[in-house]
Amino acid sequence: MADDLLTKPERLSGISRRGLERLDLMLLSVEALDLNGGEAMLWMAGQLGFADIFPNRVELWKRRCYNPLRLACRRGELSEPETDALISLLCALADRLYPMLRQLLSSAEPATLTAQRWGLFQKRLDELIRERLNPRRGGVQKLLDPVEGPPLRLQLIQGLAFGAGSGGFDRLKASLMDASA
Amino acid sequence: MKVSHRFEQTSCRFTLEGLPDLSAGQAANVIGILSGWQLALAGHTELEGKREHLFALLEVVLPYARHLVSGVPRRFGAPGHPVQIEPVAENGGRRSHRLRLFSSQPDTPPLELSLDDAELADLVRCLDQLRLDPRVQLGFSLPPERPLPRREILERIPLRQRLFSPVAAATALAITASIGLLVPLPRRATAPSVSPAATPTAPLSPPERTP
Repeated sequence: MADDLLTKPERLSGISRRGLERLDLMLLSVEALDLNGGEAMLWMAGQLGFADIFPNRVELWKRRCYNPLRLACRRGELSEPETDALISLLCALADRLYPMLRQLLSSAEPATLTAQRWGLFQKRLDELIRERLNPRRGGVQKLLDPVEGPPLRLQLIQGLAFGAGSGGFDRLKASLMDASA
Repeated sequence: MKVSHRFEQTSCRFTLEGLPDLSAGQAANVIGILSGWQLALAGHTELEGKREHLFALLEVVLPYARHLVSGVPRRFGAPGHPVQIEPVAENGGRRSHRLRLFSSQPDTPPLELSLDDAELADLVRCLDQLRLDPRVQLGFSLPPERPLPRREILERIPLRQRLFSPVAAATALAITASIGLLVPLPRRATAPSVSPAATPTAPLSPPERTP
C-alpha cells in the first residue's frame, strides 16, 4: 500500500482545512492516550513503509502543521500521498489503542472508572492543546470549554474507534473529505 | 466439506459457515456459498441468519458507522428492510444505538438490541474483517465510502447557530437602511439655466444717427 501511495503522481488530497484540522486533532488524541505517542507514530510510519514521507519527527510535524488551529500553521494543501500516509498512520495507531478506546466508549465499565479515564484523557489533551494550538482560535476555545469540549472529545474518540481496523481507512478518509458546513 | 470462519472482537463473535464454489475455481478454505451465520453479542441473544440477512446487516450498519464518524448519525433501514438501526439519546448526553432485526417468519416480533458505542464499534470491526477477508468471497457489493454532501453536514449544526449569520446580516442591513432614511437628503441645487444661444438682439453696428 505504501508503495502504491509513493508511486502515484503528486496531486492535491482534496481534504479541506477543516478535514486537516480533524486529522491533526485525532493524532493529538492518540498522543494524549499514549504517553509515548510521538515515538510510536514515527515507529509505525517506518513499519507501514512511510519512512520516505516521514523520515524524522520534523517532517511529520511539518505535515501536521497544515492544521489551521496550530500555533505554527502552514498555508497550502497536502498532497494525496501525504494525507493517505497520515490517515493510514492514524488508523494503525487507533488499531493499536483500540482496547483503550473501547474502555472509554463502553457503558459496561464502572461509571467512576470511566469518569477517571475521561478525566485523565482530557487533562493530557488539554495540555497538548495549550502547548501546540493557537488559543485565540474559536475551535481551540471550544475544545477547552468545559461545556462544549466533552462532546467534541467524544467525537474524536468515536472517530478513532470506528477508524481503527481494516475498513477504517476508507471510512475515515471519506469523513475527512466531507463538505464543509 | 463445510468451511467455517470466525471473526471476533471483545463483545462480538461472527461465525460464517459455507462451502467453496468449486465451479468458480475457489480454494478449499474459501466460503463462496454461505449456508448460515451466527452472531453472538455479549449479553444479547445469539442471532442466526441466511445470506440475505447478512447482506442486509452490512448494508445498514456500515453506512450508519460512516455517518457516526462524521458526527451526523441518522436512521438506516427503510420500513420493510429486515434490519434497521437508529441513534437513541440516553440520559447523561450519551447515545446508544437501537438495532432492530425483523424475522422472515410471519407473526414474529422484531428483535431489538441496544448497543453502546463500544459494542457497535466491535460489530463494525467484525463486519469489516469478514467483508475484507479474502477467504470470504460472497460477492458483497457495497457502495464505496463517499464524503457527505453539505446538506447532510448542516444537520449537525444547531438551527440557532445556522440561522445566526443570515439573521445578523439582515438585521444589520435593516438598521443601516433605517439610519439612511433618517438622514435628510441634501436639497438639489437649482440648475443654472442654460444660456440661450447668442443671438444678437441688437445690431452690432451702431444705429445710424439721423441729423
